[in-house]
Amino acid sequence: MRRRQSRDTASETAAGNEDGFEGLRVRDLTIVYGTEAGELAAVRGVDLDLPAGTITGLVGESGSGKSTLALAMLNAVPSPGRITAGSVTMSGVGDITRLRGRALRQVRGGVLGYVFQASQNSLNPLKRVGAQLLDLARSHGVAQPRLILGEAAKLCERMGLDATRVLSSYQHELSGGMRQRVGIVFALVLNAKVLILDEPTTALDMLSQAAVLEVVREIHAERRLATVIITHDIAVVAEMADRMVVTYAGRVVESGTAGDVLRYAAHPYTKALLRSIPRISGDISAAEPLPGRPPDLASIPTVGCVFRERCPLAMPICSDVDPATVSVGPGHTTACHLAAGPLAVPEQSEEVAG
Amino acid sequence: MIEVRGLTKTFAGRGGLLGHRAVPALREVDLQLPPGGAVSVIGESGCGKTTLGRILCGLESYDSGSLLLDGRDAKELSISERRERFQRIQLIHQDPYSALNPTRTIRQTMLASLRLRASATKRSQAWTERRANELLELVGLDPSYCLPRYPHMLSGGMRQRVVIARALTVDPDALVADEAVAMIDVSLRLGILGILRKLRADLGLSLLFITHDVAAARYVGEDGQLYVLYRGQVVEQGPVDEIVQRPTHPYTQCLLSAIPVMRGLERPGPDRLVPLRPLDDNVEPPGCLLADRCPQAQDDCLLGRPPLVSAGAEGHLHACLHPEARSVVATPEPTGSSTR
Ligand SMILES: Nc1ncnc2c1ncn2[C@@H]1O[C@H](COP(=O)(O)OP(=O)(O)OP(=O)(O)O)[C@@H](O)[C@H]1O
Ligand SMILES: Nc1ncnc2c1ncn2[C@@H]1O[C@H](COP(=O)(O)OP(=O)(O)OP(=O)(O)O)[C@@H](O)[C@H]1O
Ligand code: SF4
Ligand code: SF4
Ligand SMILES: [Mg+2]
Ligand SMILES: [Mg+2]
Repeated sequence: MRRRQSRDTASETAAGNEDGFEGLRVRDLTIVYGTEAGELAAVRGVDLDLPAGTITGLVGESGSGKSTLALAMLNAVPSPGRITAGSVTMSGVGDITRLRGRALRQVRGGVLGYVFQASQNSLNPLKRVGAQLLDLARSHGVAQPRLILGEAAKLCERMGLDATRVLSSYQHELSGGMRQRVGIVFALVLNAKVLILDEPTTALDMLSQAAVLEVVREIHAERRLATVIITHDIAVVAEMADRMVVTYAGRVVESGTAGDVLRYAAHPYTKALLRSIPRISGDISAAEPLPGRPPDLASIPTVGCVFRERCPLAMPICSDVDPATVSVGPGHTTACHLAAGPLAVPEQSEEVAG
Repeated sequence: MIEVRGLTKTFAGRGGLLGHRAVPALREVDLQLPPGGAVSVIGESGCGKTTLGRILCGLESYDSGSLLLDGRDAKELSISERRERFQRIQLIHQDPYSALNPTRTIRQTMLASLRLRASATKRSQAWTERRANELLELVGLDPSYCLPRYPHMLSGGMRQRVVIARALTVDPDALVADEAVAMIDVSLRLGILGILRKLRADLGLSLLFITHDVAAARYVGEDGQLYVLYRGQVVEQGPVDEIVQRPTHPYTQCLLSAIPVMRGLERPGPDRLVPLRPLDDNVEPPGCLLADRCPQAQDDCLLGRPPLVSAGAEGHLHACLHPEARSVVATPEPTGSSTR
């Protein structure tokens, strides 16, 4: 069932970015958190395109800035964090980082649907799910809020939830898997164009995870959403995403089609990450742990490659110069000196690589 | 050897929407955990995995059946024997943060356990310091870094290693790992799994590994057994790779079919199976417990509960009236395609 509703794309494009891009576009985004040691960057100079009709998977270790980036897409980075540079432009809306007050509230939960990490707890414990949906509708100026309940019920049924029961429940009466799905209902009920899912299936069992992902995939295709799935579970991204973006220490280190990044991983971090995942078939001893541990904000190098301390191929230049993002294939880029061409590769490091 | 026979547990019921309905958590479960062996348990949320693990650790009561520790029924042990015996079966659960006292440094936590051990085994205080260092090194931590620190100063992966090191202070025979890596970052998971693997090999520890991640179960216990629980009943069991590659029970097939495929590196299994509907534990089908969801169900499935019988291969058992081997898990793409 991959129906694709033929929407009025022409008028959407007219209202879109000047170059006709449809979806969400992040440019040179930097986000810092205030700490005892001053303001430290959690996300630095990130460029990202989330085109309509595409599922983008954002993967990276814990602390690599995935949630911070997602919050910035909603202009919702909490204090002591703030966006210090860059833009998040949505077609038909403009730069979200410049919106304030009512205009911003309309966009969040409206055209920008989102499910935050640990949405398990983001429902109001004192209100029934149905009442919270009505609140959402009212706060977004929906003319007939009650109609939302019908739409929510339809979404619930599609996710295998008993709508009558769920809408009249309090949060604590729902299992983790049910709450996760209710979160997605909230994100979609007001006709979102962009869907941001932060760890949507973490802590779900295999069957619930597959069911949630299947519904996301269907609705994504039907509504031609720009969907981003944030997770540290690469397998979920490999299964779901058209494009894959790998973050490390607040930087995008590799991006491309999911197939290319998996098959032709170019960045040493991506390669190591892929090796560290045990597989269901084949030689299980081929899995190798990634050495070292993820950096925290204070230990992220501000000059040179952020991965150098754990990189088996690090060279002197890696400590001194930020690797530029270079193309390694059609639509496939990476930020590593080794990929920047033979000139950047000193001879000894070839041996290490072999 | 830890063994359960006919283990049955029903919870009196929960409040809320479901009313006070009895919840069968385990139904006549038989399981053997040999010394140095590994048994992995998979199944949907709520199918009884944690309850089984807690009973093995002496932390939960059961209604009928028996728990045998080296052949002796746990109910016949004296209180002190029970305490001593169950202490040697240590539980590692999923949240490494709540497992450690946040107001104690790692040194205080480790020494508190080790002092008890030292007085029980008539060893000196100097031994406790030495042993703390030894155990932290065994789980891949740097003692001089960790000992003076509080739990919140360590990463999730490091905390889980501390939890394992603390469990080892009592020289356990067995570990029950209940989704022990679920909250650990993917990049650090393999390290923890490797430690569990090493403890089996080096110390002869047995491992009950409760998980949603079947590949992780292969990593820690490829030579071990895999048990599939559904609504408290063992519906299939056998050697890990036999069950993964040739599952015969439709429930196992549904579970394994749901494992995400690393497209590009793997091809999906050809015979994937999807349950007809989500689990509804308000209805209890009269015959096979899966009958309301099973894509292979036939009329006779409602007549009686299928018993666990041999599926042919050594040690492979299943409880289904219409079993059929299916290939559902992904296989690696042929190698050589990984350069461009
Ligand atoms: N409120 C805050 N104050 C200070 N630092 C913060 C705050 N929130 C996040 N950070 C830091 O910013 C960095 C990025 O955090 P973020 O939550 O975005 O990572 P993540 O990739 O989503 O990780 P995870 O996989 O654990 O969810 C981390 O080093 C984190 O410690
Ligand atoms: N203390 C309790 N009181 C009442 N019911 C309980 C209790 N503990 C567990 N149950 C119920 O018993 C069943 C089995 O629960 P258990 O926690 O063993 O499942 P599980 O397989 O570990 O699930 P998960 O994968 O979610 O951890 C569930 O239906 C659960 O709701
Ligand atoms: S730039 Fe240098 S340190 Fe960074 S990933 Fe490439 S080789 Fe490794
Ligand atoms: S006995 Fe029938 S309902 Fe049960 S698993 Fe087998 S085929 Fe399905
Ligand atoms: Mg996060
Ligand atoms: Mg459990």
